[in-house]
Amino acid sequence: MNKLCALIIAPLLFVLVWDTPAVAQSTTMTGYVRNYTGILLEGDQEYAILQDTFDLRIEHTRGKVAFKANPYIYFYHNREKEIDLRQSYMDIRLETVDIRIGKQQIVWGKADGVFITDVISPKDLSEYLLPDFEEIRIGVQALKVDYYIGNNSLEFVWVPDFTPTRIPAEDSIWYVRPPFPGTATFDYSKKEVPSKFSNSELFLKYSAMTSLIDVELMAGSMWDDNPTLHVTQSISPSTGLPVLTVTPEHHRLELAGGSFSAALGGMVFRGEGAYYRGKYFNSEDPALNDRVVKKDYAHFLLGLDFTLLDIKMSLQVIEKQIQDYDESIINEEREDTVTFLMSRDFLRETLKLELFSYIGMNDNGSLIRPKMTYDLMDGFQIVAGFNIFTGNKGTYGQFDDKDMIYSKIKYAF
Amino acid sequence: MALIKKSLVFAVTLLTVPFLAFSQAEPTGLKIIENVYHRPTSEDMQGDLTMTLTNAHGETRVRRIHQFTRDFGQVEKKIMFFQYPADVRDTAFMTWGYDESGKDDDQWIYLPALKKVKRISSDSKSDYFMGSDFTYDDLGDRHPADDVHKLLREETLDGSPCYVVESIPVQKDYMYSSTVTWVIKDKWIAVKKEFYDEDREHLKTLAVKQYENISGFWIVLHSQMHNIQKNHTTDMALTNVKLNNGITESQFTERMMQRGGR
Repeated sequence: MNKLCALIIAPLLFVLVWDTPAVAQSTTMTGYVRNYTGILLEGDQEYAILQDTFDLRIEHTRGKVAFKANPYIYFYHNREKEIDLRQSYMDIRLETVDIRIGKQQIVWGKADGVFITDVISPKDLSEYLLPDFEEIRIGVQALKVDYYIGNNSLEFVWVPDFTPTRIPAEDSIWYVRPPFPGTATFDYSKKEVPSKFSNSELFLKYSAMTSLIDVELMAGSMWDDNPTLHVTQSISPSTGLPVLTVTPEHHRLELAGGSFSAALGGMVFRGEGAYYRGKYFNSEDPALNDRVVKKDYAHFLLGLDFTLLDIKMSLQVIEKQIQDYDESIINEEREDTVTFLMSRDFLRETLKLELFSYIGMNDNGSLIRPKMTYDLMDGFQIVAGFNIFTGNKGTYGQFDDKDMIYSKIKYAF
Repeated sequence: MALIKKSLVFAVTLLTVPFLAFSQAEPTGLKIIENVYHRPTSEDMQGDLTMTLTNAHGETRVRRIHQFTRDFGQVEKKIMFFQYPADVRDTAFMTWGYDESGKDDDQWIYLPALKKVKRISSDSKSDYFMGSDFTYDDLGDRHPADDVHKLLREETLDGSPCYVVESIPVQKDYMYSSTVTWVIKDKWIAVKKEFYDEDREHLKTLAVKQYENISGFWIVLHSQMHNIQKNHTTDMALTNVKLNNGITESQFTERMMQRGGR
């Protein structure tokens, strides 16, 4: 309860006591309440999720400065409630420079639902890829500085403290056990990245918006959000049998990339790509130290958005390619994915039917997400849909028994 | 002979002058629509737009937008910030429209849930704007050369003498088979317009409910589009209008879209 007070009441008090009538100021408070219920279609129709959400956005602007706080609460029927700040930052808006300091979600790139140059905010995968993207991205403590010249901008981001990907808890239906024998022991002594200046993450982006094309060029020096599993084998002194020790450890990654978006003849062409240097991959070669090997990889996408018979469609083709590939690497040299989106509005844009799919080309697995959104009245929305997994292995096929039907009832204020 | 010649010239002049005077008083349909199209407008404008959609059962939905426009000569830029309903608040929509024939508008949308500005393809001119009774083409300035115009008659509408002009599109597959427009004579404001569908049936009627002279420019402040076939109405009201307020090019950027107009 104390945390609740600190997150919600404190920003309100701050707004109320900040009294400087000489400068134009405004305060807005918006947000939503939502019920999200998901039921697994197989087995005993277990609840995949039963969540009530309260999400509040408080924004105060006074002249050239502003602050925003976005506290939220997730209430669950069968686990501890979650209270946190999705974002909480201050803005300083100068003539050609914007400065943002605090916990913030930062989004880069032109891809939809795929993370290539969009690497600053780590992902919350505790509910896999199923929540809205605003809820998947974890806010990071950062300093962001944007310098503008017309429709060109230069953005610099300093993340002083590393935040890793949030993975599902061991009792979650989305938890995937690492592929090691049950006898393997885990050593978490290296899992944390020490909080110090030399462990900062730095990013730089140039972007331009023109009539012909929108372009982004970026570079970054960061930590791999996902830990590498280092594997060592030793002989147990008590049993004399070999024992595997798995040590999760985060490593630095450097990347450079870019993206573009251009309209031509009623269609929008998009592209995004990045070259990552220094990624550790697990290997099956027992001769390798810790059974890991360091390689570079490229990750790129081409996309096309168009409208056909009043149906909006979007197609993306994505490839992840390990450079200087070694046959012992557990991951495949190339990993190809296709995403497909089609949507159409009905009843004066109050009813929307949508189908979004991820299709994994390597394992023939897919995640198919049909949904219907109906605006019952202004700000009051009902969503109903399915998450269907196909295949039997790989990114999507491993959840073949997790098909679900869900509803979201949301009131925005 | 000279006298006969002079008399003939005088007689012709007498007959011709009234005819010329009548021609000047009653311009062609094309000229009337050109006068509406070329009516002086401010270089920039900002204001709050409220759309109220009313269905056949009398149920209403409201959309509120804060918008900025500026004419930069060859390109007109427009940025709209959605303010209501709450679930679309802070969504921004930007258009750069070009005078150059055949060049499509550039359009971008900022969706706060995605925190990303996305380039989108130009909406079809026949699409309805935000579920209203206005198509994108209804909201734009249709070029006079796109239709063949004919002056049907003159009549008084709500106390204002008007020209009534029928316009038939040059493009045969256009969404309307014809439109009929009532234009106030001395102000060149189209105060009423009837739209006829592809089957030549009366589809909808636009009625201007309020207009005002602001800083020397005639501005429509309230108009209503009634779809007769579906008995659905959209009221569009413009408030807090500011003209020639010195809106700069920096207003029409990705930065402003992300900032939500603040």
